[in-house]
Amino acid sequence: MPEFPSGEWFDALAAQANDKADDLAEFGFSNIRLACRINGLPDGDRYFGLRVEGYDVISDGEIDPASWGADCTLEGPAQVWFEMVSNIRENGGADLSHTLNALSLPEIPLRIVSDDPMGRDLFFRYNQTLQEVFDLAAEVPTEMPVTTRPNS
Amino acid sequence: MADLTIDWDYAARVSEGKLDLDWLHSWNHEVGEEIKPSRIGLTMKDIAVGRYGDIPEEAPMRTMAPRGGEREAVMPDMGYTLNKRADVWAENVMDLYEEAVSRQWSATRDIEWSEIPDIDPDLEHALCQVCTVLSEVEMIASDFPAKWMWQINHDYVEAKMFLATQIMDESRHTEVFRKRALAKGAGLGRSRAATEEFLKLILDADNYSEGSALMHLLGEGIVLSLFRAGELLSPSPVEKKIFRLCMQDEARHVAYGTMHLRYALANDPDREGEYHEYLDKGERILAALFTIPEVVEPLMILAAGGEEEAAALGGQAADMLQMRVIEEYLQRCDRAGIDRRSRIQIPGIIGGYDPAEHGVTSEAAMAQATN
Repeated sequence: MPEFPSGEWFDALAAQANDKADDLAEFGFSNIRLACRINGLPDGDRYFGLRVEGYDVISDGEIDPASWGADCTLEGPAQVWFEMVSNIRENGGADLSHTLNALSLPEIPLRIVSDDPMGRDLFFRYNQTLQEVFDLAAEVPTEMPVTTRPNS
Repeated sequence: MADLTIDWDYAARVSEGKLDLDWLHSWNHEVGEEIKPSRIGLTMKDIAVGRYGDIPEEAPMRTMAPRGGEREAVMPDMGYTLNKRADVWAENVMDLYEEAVSRQWSATRDIEWSEIPDIDPDLEHALCQVCTVLSEVEMIASDFPAKWMWQINHDYVEAKMFLATQIMDESRHTEVFRKRALAKGAGLGRSRAATEEFLKLILDADNYSEGSALMHLLGEGIVLSLFRAGELLSPSPVEKKIFRLCMQDEARHVAYGTMHLRYALANDPDREGEYHEYLDKGERILAALFTIPEVVEPLMILAAGGEEEAAALGGQAADMLQMRVIEEYLQRCDRAGIDRRSRIQIPGIIGGYDPAEHGVTSEAAMAQATN
């Protein structure tokens, strides 16, 4: 069972998405390189790369942001990422306050960052697809770090 | 005017089996090689090769004859007024067309209309007022391209095709918000003259460039932010999906507007002053939108969770939204190659109430609004 966050977990998410390729294709093709920056982990901030190319979802696992060439980066504290993934898993999909847009519009607790506003706007252009992909976290067996559990 | 008289001699020859076939025997406009489709299928960009991808800076004729094919020397003048590439082009327009076609959706089929929950009447009315404003403003983005599309030279057909998708997108947005306002019985709310002033400014634009800057870049950029806010504040997953799907469409239109302005300015930097004047006008009117109760208060009520809560919260959520709207708009202007930071006419940034000066940050405002 892959631990969140890890390259294996993002690989499993991408595999899950590709298993549901016909469902995702209903929303049309996408073309985005989304970096996920998870801040404040015990070993510092970590980046994971997720691409949607056409109808394929591709995980590049843990990435070096300097060389990966993200269109945009979704970033925020690890605790918020843990909460989002847990929420998706508990509800079978994000509830009203845990969608990607809801968490990032006010720039807290997550935010979407890009040097290029056209890159940032891709996050909006493919938002339904991205949400559908992340909602599939509900079906990814996930080991959450002990520090995220209640009373830990 | 080409001669439209019937060629009886030709008709007689054909009846005797003597075909002309000059069009066939003189065929000399092959692409050269078979075109391989890209991973999503055969796209407009895939086929924009050789003479077919040669998009003229100025169209040599005003005809509907397809670009790259063979034309007679004299063709009827279709009356096009937008005959320069810089008038309408954007480097991303072919990609955006493909994306638009691929990502179409149906307001009838794809929204779970039977799953809208009963909510507090004030929240329902606030949501319906938001839907009223959006149903009103969205159709301008159909009407404006429709007004100009026939005037675009056919050599820039990809731009026309993209605008055709936008017309459909905006029609669907008008549809989906009208349906949501009526779906639970609350109905449509109030329209205000001030909102229509901005719409009239776009529709009455003297030229396509002015209207495009006002609509694609300024107006739709702001509506994109409103859609994002709508998604955040939606009372159920049904509205969330409506706003997300609309957000995707709107972001395509903004992407065209940003890159069209960039292309136009790169090709004619002397027009920068002209664009500043358009945006000065548009921003002044748009600033007024932030002071229309029917625009601002429904969002405050949805953000706070009710009428009393909205009064207690004050304008913090609206201030946050305004800050996000303005900053994202300014970034797009930067990308387009026009610096609006020094002359923006929206009072939240200059000359009026600046939330940041009063210690209101987007983080604080929204944290309070969403707690």
